[in-house]
Amino acid sequence: MPTREQVLALLDEGLGYEAAGRSLGVPAGQAYLIATGLPADGSGSPTPEDLRRPGVSATSTQRLSNPPARNPTTSDTVRAWIRARAQGDAQMQQAAAAGQGKGPSSS
Amino acid sequence: MKSPRDALQSWPVLRQLRGEDSLGRGAAAQSEASRNLHARTTGADEVVKSVCPYCAVGCGQNVYVKDGRVVQIEGDPDSPASRGRLCPKGSATLELTTGPGREHSVLYRRPGAADWEPLELDTAMDMIADRVIEARRESWQWTVDGGAVRRTMGIASLGGATLDNEENYLIKKLLTALGVIQVENQARVCHSSTVSALGTSFGRGGATTFPGDLQHSDCIVIQGSNMAEAHPVAFQWVMEAKARGATLIHVDPHFSRTSALADLFVPLRAGTDIAFLGAIVNHVLTQEADFREYVLAYTNASTIVSEDFRDTEDLDGLFSGFDPETGKYADTDSWNYAGAGVKAASGQRDKPQQDNARPSVQSSGHSESHGSGGHKLDGEPQRDETLQHPRCVWQILKRHYARYTPEMVQRVCGVEPAVFARVCDALTSNSGRDRTSSFVYAVGWTQHTVGTQYIRAAAVLQLLLGNIGRPGGGIMALRGHASIQGSSDIPTLFDVLPGYIPMPHVREHPSLEQFIESDAADTGYWAYMRAYMVSLMKAWWGPAATSDNDFCFEYLPRLTGSHSTYDTVFEQLAGRCKGYFLMGENPAVGSANTKLQRLGMAALDWLVVRDFTLIESATWWKDGPEIETGELRTADIDTEVFFLPAASHTEKDGTFTNTQRMLQWHHRAVEPEGDARSDLWFIYHLGRRIREKLAGSTDEMDRPVLELTWDYPTHGSQDEPSAEAVLAEVNGWDHEGNPLSTYEALRDDGSTACGCWIYCGVYADGVNQSARRKPAREQNWTGAEWGWAWPANRRVLYNRASADPQGKPWSERKALVWWDEEQGRWTGHDVPDFPPDKRPDYEPPEGAKGKEALAGTDPFIMQADGRGWLYVPAGLADGPLPTHYEPQDSPVANALYGQQRNPPRKTYPHRHNRYHPSGDEPGSDVFPFVLTTYRLTEHFTAGGMSRWNKYLSELQPQLFCEVSPELAAERGLKDRDWATLVTARGAIEARVLVTDRMAPIALSTEPPRIVHQIGMPYHWGPNGLASGDAMNELSAIVLEPSVHIQEVKALSVDIRPGRRPHGPALDELLDDYCRRAGITAETGVAP
Repeated sequence: MPTREQVLALLDEGLGYEAAGRSLGVPAGQAYLIATGLPADGSGSPTPEDLRRPGVSATSTQRLSNPPARNPTTSDTVRAWIRARAQGDAQMQQAAAAGQGKGPSSS
Repeated sequence: MKSPRDALQSWPVLRQLRGEDSLGRGAAAQSEASRNLHARTTGADEVVKSVCPYCAVGCGQNVYVKDGRVVQIEGDPDSPASRGRLCPKGSATLELTTGPGREHSVLYRRPGAADWEPLELDTAMDMIADRVIEARRESWQWTVDGGAVRRTMGIASLGGATLDNEENYLIKKLLTALGVIQVENQARVCHSSTVSALGTSFGRGGATTFPGDLQHSDCIVIQGSNMAEAHPVAFQWVMEAKARGATLIHVDPHFSRTSALADLFVPLRAGTDIAFLGAIVNHVLTQEADFREYVLAYTNASTIVSEDFRDTEDLDGLFSGFDPETGKYADTDSWNYAGAGVKAASGQRDKPQQDNARPSVQSSGHSESHGSGGHKLDGEPQRDETLQHPRCVWQILKRHYARYTPEMVQRVCGVEPAVFARVCDALTSNSGRDRTSSFVYAVGWTQHTVGTQYIRAAAVLQLLLGNIGRPGGGIMALRGHASIQGSSDIPTLFDVLPGYIPMPHVREHPSLEQFIESDAADTGYWAYMRAYMVSLMKAWWGPAATSDNDFCFEYLPRLTGSHSTYDTVFEQLAGRCKGYFLMGENPAVGSANTKLQRLGMAALDWLVVRDFTLIESATWWKDGPEIETGELRTADIDTEVFFLPAASHTEKDGTFTNTQRMLQWHHRAVEPEGDARSDLWFIYHLGRRIREKLAGSTDEMDRPVLELTWDYPTHGSQDEPSAEAVLAEVNGWDHEGNPLSTYEALRDDGSTACGCWIYCGVYADGVNQSARRKPAREQNWTGAEWGWAWPANRRVLYNRASADPQGKPWSERKALVWWDEEQGRWTGHDVPDFPPDKRPDYEPPEGAKGKEALAGTDPFIMQADGRGWLYVPAGLADGPLPTHYEPQDSPVANALYGQQRNPPRKTYPHRHNRYHPSGDEPGSDVFPFVLTTYRLTEHFTAGGMSRWNKYLSELQPQLFCEVSPELAAERGLKDRDWATLVTARGAIEARVLVTDRMAPIALSTEPPRIVHQIGMPYHWGPNGLASGDAMNELSAIVLEPSVHIQEVKALSVDIRPGRRPHGPALDELLDDYCRRAGITAETGVAP
């Protein structure tokens, strides 16, 4: 099992946890746990002092131990559907062309 | 069997001596069994981001998927709301979604049949579509009393708070187009009073802050909530505040884990919170402990009220304008400001020709339309900045609360003056420029006949103390369903359209112009109601909505009074409501007076239940309590019942809006099995089938549904409609198909479409903002890039008030947003809830309209006058100021006024809905104890999502009641033995828990009196793994007058040792109690 010093040394060389883990033959999440004492999946309850330990990431580390996360935020299908809805609305087109509408930013 | 050699090698000591782990602290100590254990997450193919489907804290979840199956669900540590934590329910979500308790097949019960039979999903959908068409045709109303209504009373729908926003949106859209107005959800019975209270006080009906900001509070008062157990993950922020030195106070009839963690626990008599809060108001006013600069600048304290106004002090518990014949405040003009008329959204406006419509409009729930604006201000209110004018709000407040003294608190609430003083001191010493205090509440406040005024009392107090719009301040409404806030915002509610636009009323709103004239304000952001409304109708009817046809305004069915879920029960009993959809709600357990709920369903032609399991509302016809007593015979019940299994949150895309107004997207991880489908699928394909069956119809009644935009893209093998497309419609677009970024862009000419104006921006730039998941550690505490909060992603509402009138933070310690002179903009830690470039010294020119009419010092931008309202001159049905009344059924007489109960509360006399004698009335002593109810950590609402869960059922297996040792001795109750609780409506049995947690309340009356209270959770019903009687067998249908929420947090009962009788003997017991108490149809009904 690699030691904390070994992991931290590789980090000092500029490697990330993925590369450090590969180099030491352990998964990236395990490398993080060795270096920091904190589980990479975020399941711990670190104190502010814990978060100041060497090697602790300022960002989320779930990716080091979890499979890929799925969280899409855009959809081409929906974009195309919106355009079709808008373009198929003749009254909407005419109203926009007339430019007489009133609202919060155009009263 | 291991060989001796293998056995030797598995000996840990040998491994320790021969291996590298010589100290035996690692691998050497690991057994083979341990070595073979693997986390369920090991080998998962992906993590799908999700949100917990239980309460409204909105904890982030990671859903682990392997080989197309959900294998584990854990908390998402990146979530700013939960930081990876899940409560017992959230931790049991895997069982909820994949456990054996779920049904996956459609079931059908023919009229009169003794049991279920299988049915193909496709056939069921076709039959339901036919039933809807038929019921609609048979019950269609074009007019009522000469007014056009274009509706059906033959169909009703209940449920939505456990569903996604997108599902609620399509339910409301389709049913409204079909002319169905009886559309309701759990928000009615849980938090409708929150909307009316916070809406009229501040301009919006949602929590003013978010749980994560509680960490900045210097004092937190939790009242009407057991936060540590009902919202445990959000409670971490209270603990953060406490760790930073905050004072935590818990005020509640029932000692709980919240109390155990509080610095001060204050037990009080259930149903007396207004007396308690009113006395704190009195303390603040008499001690001049208010934040005067804030009060003068940001509240209506200086506004002068009409000389015609008479207070409860003058009329012994009544405000001016009460009509004893109708039991309503028929004339509320006297409540108005002097020299200016404040007009609520409909119903209380000064139009003589509409006087005859007032009672029905008042009862039509328009108070709920203050969920995001809704007042009109005519003229310029007179003000006295010295606060000396005898009719200014400040002086009225002082007179109104003068009798709410510490001694009165002891007499009414049973709280000793010294304890009360500690609460006052903690609050006032932790409010001001440098310090802020917050209030946290839940349904312990909302579910009363004075529920709105409970919350209003806290609003008054927080405005006086300067705690609204500031970090660590505010009023945190803790909602109890994953999207109950969303099902209010995008409402499956009878009285509002999306974004709290009121549903039109038959008399007030014959045309769009009259609707706008009647309901829109001239000043503030409610002045743009026409843009919000026209954009909504463009979203619903697309190209069919034109300026020539009032944008299809006539397609909207009209209200004629109250059509709440409780009114629907009586419509069912009367045979007028023939078809009923239940979607994720279980009224046979969760609504008041469950007997009437079941009897109503027994009078239906058809019932559609969509749920995970066979809840009580699906099976009452074969195993309900009335079958056992013989009141109903299965063979005689002609209700046709369809049970359709529902998809879980891991099986569908969509958003929940949590308790802090934050929308969070959960992704579909897997397709649902068998016949299980999302409610989005159900309502979309039901609408599609109905439209196909009606295609070619020239009947005018069918035009709204045929012209409805109903073309959502579908995907997958089950043709699941795109929830993201629905969200995009909710967000809105312009004529080029560009998603809108803000409601500021909406127009009133049809050039924009938007399904819910307050959600405009959730799909800004074509990005699903609700799916944003920037980890908490990478942003500040507001979590602005995690999900999206309405309005405009503002996390603390009214945050302009966090700065002084000049735009500087009241103190550096409490800085949130401020005016940046260099940039010429408001800036800070949160998105400013204010026009970003409006200078603090801006003064509106005379005659200014809309947002231009708001001064640079007006933080409450949805209010017509830009101010927080200590006194509400219009919009509430029971008065401008919170006033203590006893609950409907109370063993105690009102010590403050001659008026015993809230005068305009709604009563429903019925032989199965009898009320108790109260106070000094003869027979009151037959029901001498006070029952209060609450939620447990391990169960969820009416049990449909927890009583079939083996882990949760094991943790809390049985209904129980908590009684004090004194009450146990008085009534011969034994710990863990059975007790029977009795009201005029029902009798139930529960295990007895004798505990000091329910302390007897000592009232300093003459002579002194002890009131015993009984605590009881309400989750149980006869079905499921953990079964028991339903608490709501005991409760009555009696409603708060503004929003029609029921009173189930304080009611008088009797308790006796032993189990309850079964069969006909149960009714005999109730008859005996009613006889002894002298109960008649008139008992408790008079105002």
